[in-house]
Amino acid sequence: MAGPDSGTEHQFTGIKKYFNSYTLTGRRNCVLATYASIGLIVLYFKLRPKKNPEDGK
Amino acid sequence: MIPNLFEIFATPYLLKVPLMWLAVMAPAMIIFSPSQHLVTGRYILLKKWTMKQFIKQIMSPLPTHGYKWAALFTALMITLTSINMISLLPHTFTPTAQLALTMALAFPLWLATVVIGLLKKTTRSLAHFLPEGSPTPLIPALVVVETISLLIRPMALGVRLAANLTAGHLLLQLMALAVIHLPTPMWPATVAVATTLMLLTILEVAVGLIQAYVFVLLLSLYLQENI
Repeated sequence: MAGPDSGTEHQFTGIKKYFNSYTLTGRRNCVLATYASIGLIVLYFKLRPKKNPEDGK
Repeated sequence: MIPNLFEIFATPYLLKVPLMWLAVMAPAMIIFSPSQHLVTGRYILLKKWTMKQFIKQIMSPLPTHGYKWAALFTALMITLTSINMISLLPHTFTPTAQLALTMALAFPLWLATVVIGLLKKTTRSLAHFLPEGSPTPLIPALVVVETISLLIRPMALGVRLAANLTAGHLLLQLMALAVIHLPTPMWPATVAVATTLMLLTILEVAVGLIQAYVFVLLLSLYLQENI
């Protein structure tokens, strides 16, 4: 297959084919996955329902 | 009465008009005054030779399509060098000691290199955030560290130039004050401080040239990563 990583892709199988720190696409996917995880964590803490102090009584 | 040592860094005003723009443009206008002659002379040849050497040095690592940045880098280098050299004259204002100027140069140019990289070579630019061969457990931490390192770059670029110029000029002023105010019986100390002041002035000439070169060199390196 043509592309910048055509010589090395066959070394990885499974999820490591798309997420590794050796190929350009692998590194890109790791970076995007890290940013997505941070975004999801921030979104979770922003959107979670705030505890009402009156519920504890 | 304690003298205000930072008065030299205050923007000069003339009839309430700030002279910052004049201080920034005047050095380059002196160097690039239009020639009265049709045939080039020694001065123009010298300018051309200097610019050619600089362009060869800075642009050789870049690919061919990056050569369009040569004019910008050369202009930036000449402006910064001329400002730094002229500001070494006594009682002159140092525009490059102002963070406002250095950040105004650093931030847009850095941002341009990042945007060009993200638009033209998205995969390669994003892959830069993770060093090749990183161990898997360290990947999230390394991505965060590299992102912070990228975002710190314009600040480092601007602050490096401003801090170096500020520190140098402050030191020159302190030593000059010491030479002026030392009492006459302490003339050996005065001679020693005056000698140190001369050596420091030579150092400040070198620092002015080097810092201007480093500013442009780092920008060319950032461009090299993204082009």
